[in-house]
Amino acid sequence: MGLAAKGEAQAPQQFEVCIVGSGAGAGPIAYELAKAGIKVVVLEKGDWYTEQDFVKDEQLPRHRVFRSQFDEERHVLELPDGEGGWRRETTAQFWGGNIVGGASNFMSGYFHRLKPSDFRLASTFGPIPGANTVDWPISYEELEPYYAKVEQIVGVSGRVVKHPRLEPRSTRDYPFPPTAEHPIAARFDNACQTLKLHPLPMARAILSRPFKQRLSCEYSGYCGSYGCHSGAKGSSRAALLNDAVASGNCRIITRAKVYRLNSDAQGRVSSADYFDASGKSRRIVANIFVVACYAIESARLLLASTGEKHPKGIGNRHDQLGKNLHCCAGGTGHGVFKLDKLPLETAKGLKQRGPFFNRALQDWYVIDDKTAFDKPVKGGTLDFVFDPPAPTSEANALKWQEGNLLWGTPLKQKLKAHFTQSRDFKFEVFCDWLTNDDCYVTLDDEEQDKWGQPVARVRAGFHPHDLKVAQYLVDRGVEVMKAMGADEAWGNVFSDPTANLVAGGCRFGKDPQTSVLNPDCRVHDCDNLYVTDGSFMPNGGSVTPTLTIYANAFRVADKLLERLTKD
Amino acid sequence: MVRSKREAKKQYAFETGLSRRDFIVRSGALGLLLSVKPELSWGSEEGFSLTTRPKGFDVINRAIIESVQQHLFPDDGDGPSAKELNAYRYLLWAMEDPDNRADEDRQFILQGAAWLEDWADTQTGRSFLVLSWDEQEALLQEIAKSRAGENWLSLLLYYLIEALMLDPLYGGNPDEIGWRWLEHQPGFPRPVPGKSYLDF
Repeated sequence: MGLAAKGEAQAPQQFEVCIVGSGAGAGPIAYELAKAGIKVVVLEKGDWYTEQDFVKDEQLPRHRVFRSQFDEERHVLELPDGEGGWRRETTAQFWGGNIVGGASNFMSGYFHRLKPSDFRLASTFGPIPGANTVDWPISYEELEPYYAKVEQIVGVSGRVVKHPRLEPRSTRDYPFPPTAEHPIAARFDNACQTLKLHPLPMARAILSRPFKQRLSCEYSGYCGSYGCHSGAKGSSRAALLNDAVASGNCRIITRAKVYRLNSDAQGRVSSADYFDASGKSRRIVANIFVVACYAIESARLLLASTGEKHPKGIGNRHDQLGKNLHCCAGGTGHGVFKLDKLPLETAKGLKQRGPFFNRALQDWYVIDDKTAFDKPVKGGTLDFVFDPPAPTSEANALKWQEGNLLWGTPLKQKLKAHFTQSRDFKFEVFCDWLTNDDCYVTLDDEEQDKWGQPVARVRAGFHPHDLKVAQYLVDRGVEVMKAMGADEAWGNVFSDPTANLVAGGCRFGKDPQTSVLNPDCRVHDCDNLYVTDGSFMPNGGSVTPTLTIYANAFRVADKLLERLTKD
Repeated sequence: MVRSKREAKKQYAFETGLSRRDFIVRSGALGLLLSVKPELSWGSEEGFSLTTRPKGFDVINRAIIESVQQHLFPDDGDGPSAKELNAYRYLLWAMEDPDNRADEDRQFILQGAAWLEDWADTQTGRSFLVLSWDEQEALLQEIAKSRAGENWLSLLLYYLIEALMLDPLYGGNPDEIGWRWLEHQPGFPRPVPGKSYLDF
């Protein structure tokens, strides 16, 4: 390849460890190794922004300012066409954050842990025909100390309450008290008590008190989808990379798009090639490489990195690379409260923007209900949340009435009623997206990115069982909304991939025939290559995976420290 | 550039509502307009480049678009009108946005104005601008029955609503008049010159 040849002509820079990506799977590695005195380089495709850049402007997410642009980089997405085939489209929806710190800058930070049964899904619930469910090669107990570590270092606020599904914890409570709560939370708690449910305060990766150089939450109400102005949100950038860089042992190279890992005759990775800001190919040499650039892209990079010992891509000896990708199955629901029907003070409280709803239900993390399923099945989590403010999009959607365009005074009155006389509360259902043979990543034969590299093709097939579980949970959520007194409540399930919650593709396991990574997240047949983003996960758990990605990356960092200090 | 009535895909909070375009169908507006109303023509199909811009939004087109905007968001005694929102000035500014340019919105809006004037002439023998409010409204109701006409009005509303809800930094919503009417609480810190979305 011509461009790579140019790279070979450059004097390569040498580091002990080279990390590709800077999000939740990368930050812990950089943080731990740099603090231990190991020279680390982080290659990030995007730019480096700071808190001062994160103004609360709806135009930033609307114009995808911190995410890759469709005309420069896209994915090919194959979705079921409803007739047994697949329809193909190109999309930019999978780009979560083209920026130092990656998508963790824009997360809402719902930091639920996985539960012990998530680590042994196959043996706990038995096989489901058509699903590739397996047990993890490690137990909850092995990851638990790292959950506790993330809660302390990244900064998680919350309050532990006893409930039937509470996972074992080595610490009594979260290191930071809960963030301020919206008045709707009390209404939620009352409704749940009436329904004999267990309302849970939700743990958030948001500081309720200042911590090191980071300020506590400013309660602007513009959290998920927006960058954090105070540094309270536990992004990889704010919580980990700033400290890593301050140690003097971590260098972050921005606008560095890694497109290939080169391997030697023994099959070890010898260098990484990237395009710099001007489009020139450059090379980094290191002893150990860590890939963490989001599940789809990590698989893509390994697939593109063919070599003498890795003719089908690194980690693909047994055709497992890119397989068993998963998203988050589930759905969403709404409860709309008409404010003019409520006492003035109550209505005023409900209109407040800033404090968090912060409530979850895990009563159906396992569903044991013979009327719906003939045996206990894995269920999921219901998070009760606010949508990120998007008033322009919200208003724009109101211009349609039963398929016809509305304007004039009728439109104005509809807008006024929506914004001033009602409040919409939302719940989100998270359950397992069962891994299956129709959900995977390959390289596309036709589509290329702006650097001329084949893009990832994502086939996103889902298992029908997911929809049944999701519907069960959505129905429960609607019941809660009604019990809270919502004037309107509804919900629906979806089968489209959740673009910001993709994991798997480089599953970890003990058997090289059925997995890409070993239990330490090192590629089975490549002694110096690790993958530490969500790619390792055999299943996502029925929660958002970021906390677990952080925790696992801290676990792998310990394995690396052990290895590097031994060498 | 042309919007259909296809509902936006709603998913988790991270993605909900924050895509700029909720209603997109990938087809050329001109082709669609002609296919819907093949009997119409609107004279010269000149290209609209930067050099022809002043001619594009000339005094006639400005008057037509401002009149239509006022119908879309009238001064009805409850909340700001299009004029009070600076909707026309905002529209002109938005037409220069790179994403909007790429979508050829400028051309479609001008084509639509020409079409409306043609349609007024065909139906009434007079210019849209000299018709009474009720006659103008009747014409707009009429064109909304065609896919193309509805798309044109929808696109004007799209920018009008931006003028209603975006930060005043962008030229609409002066003195937060739209936010105050809808009791919208903005986030903080707000964007300032040098930190608009075009500066990143």
